[in-house]
Amino acid sequence: MDLDANRNLIVAALARIPAGDRAALQTVYRLTSAKLFGVALRILEERSEAEDVLQEVYVTVWRKAADFDAARASPMTWLIAIARNRAIDRLRASKQSRHTAPIEAADDVADSAPMADRVLENAQDYARLHGCLDGLEARERTALRGAFFDGNTYEDLAARMNVPLGTMKSWIRRAMIKLKSCLQQ
Amino acid sequence: MSDPASQMPEDELLAAECALGVLAGAERDAAEGRIARDPGFARMVIAWEERLAPWAAEIPEVPAPPQVWDRIAAALPAQKQNAGWWQSLAFWRGLSLATGALAAACIGALIYLGNAPSQAPLTAGIDGGGHRHFVATVDTRNGRIAVVPAAYSADATREPELWLIPADGKPRPLGMLRADRAVTIAIPAGLATLAVKDATLAVSLEPAGGSPTGQPTGPVIASGKLTSL
Repeated sequence: MDLDANRNLIVAALARIPAGDRAALQTVYRLTSAKLFGVALRILEERSEAEDVLQEVYVTVWRKAADFDAARASPMTWLIAIARNRAIDRLRASKQSRHTAPIEAADDVADSAPMADRVLENAQDYARLHGCLDGLEARERTALRGAFFDGNTYEDLAARMNVPLGTMKSWIRRAMIKLKSCLQQ
Repeated sequence: MSDPASQMPEDELLAAECALGVLAGAERDAAEGRIARDPGFARMVIAWEERLAPWAAEIPEVPAPPQVWDRIAAALPAQKQNAGWWQSLAFWRGLSLATGALAAACIGALIYLGNAPSQAPLTAGIDGGGHRHFVATVDTRNGRIAVVPAAYSADATREPELWLIPADGKPRPLGMLRADRAVTIAIPAGLATLAVKDATLAVSLEPAGGSPTGQPTGPVIASGKLTSL
């Protein structure tokens, strides 16, 4: 299956990077950069900033590839986490406000059909997560979306949804507890 | 509203917040510090990243502009010896497709080795009878010579052998060449100091396995001087 083949290619290439194999890094880049650029661009909105972050991401991958443990994490999870973290670091450091428009729980349609994705693990993981997200209250799901896709902080989310900070924290925390419980079933 | 901490340990809630990315400022810094020094906490964060990552399927892929890779490559530490273009068959195949590409390819090699100008590669077009039969490039740093066939066409009974002819005019055997593919030859230790600018590379036609005498026995069909680019 293509997804497995892709995953194996990425894992094998990551394993060659600690020896200083630049071609291996380029393989990882070729297979994953479009997804990670999409992730960074979604959070940062500015192409030039997303490009800077993408560069940081792969230099980080070059330095940290030895830390990646295929037994413990999937390669795309690891890479997406690096990309989100770098993009969020950049977002937090910038003075410019982004993703601040008010959002309402009713805005959240959460209707995206599972998408075929070249590099993500598989449609089942997505469908399972999607099913569990559907089980959340609309406002919880909306808040989680703002955090995951837009890189919003608790403060951002409280402002966008016009609720006190403490309320937002408890929405998110309750949502995460429900999510974990649902995903374990 | 029930207290969430009663249903999930505070540590794990913090790990979830960390993976989700909702923390800022000192809280975010503190959580990242904890990931670095607390493996148990780091595992919880990874578990939460695993739970959330499938959501990224909703984010469309966007091809990054090509210059991003160039910037990444430039930001990596200097290339290790014995790695990269020298081993790259694709590099040599590409080179052998057209000798017209020689200048460009060698300029490329020069850029790769640009951090060691005293050990810049040498190159020679090995010509005879109005044709460029082979193209040779000497990796002086690693003591190797790569020879790519160009217009050379295989002889029915004899094989091409490469010779190094330094300033003293005496040919030293380097190895057998191929009409159908590039070969890489390790320069014998005693000859490394002779494979320098202005030394001559020559190709003779020899019995299978090479000259039995240690000197060319067949016709020298082509030669060329090593030059630094």
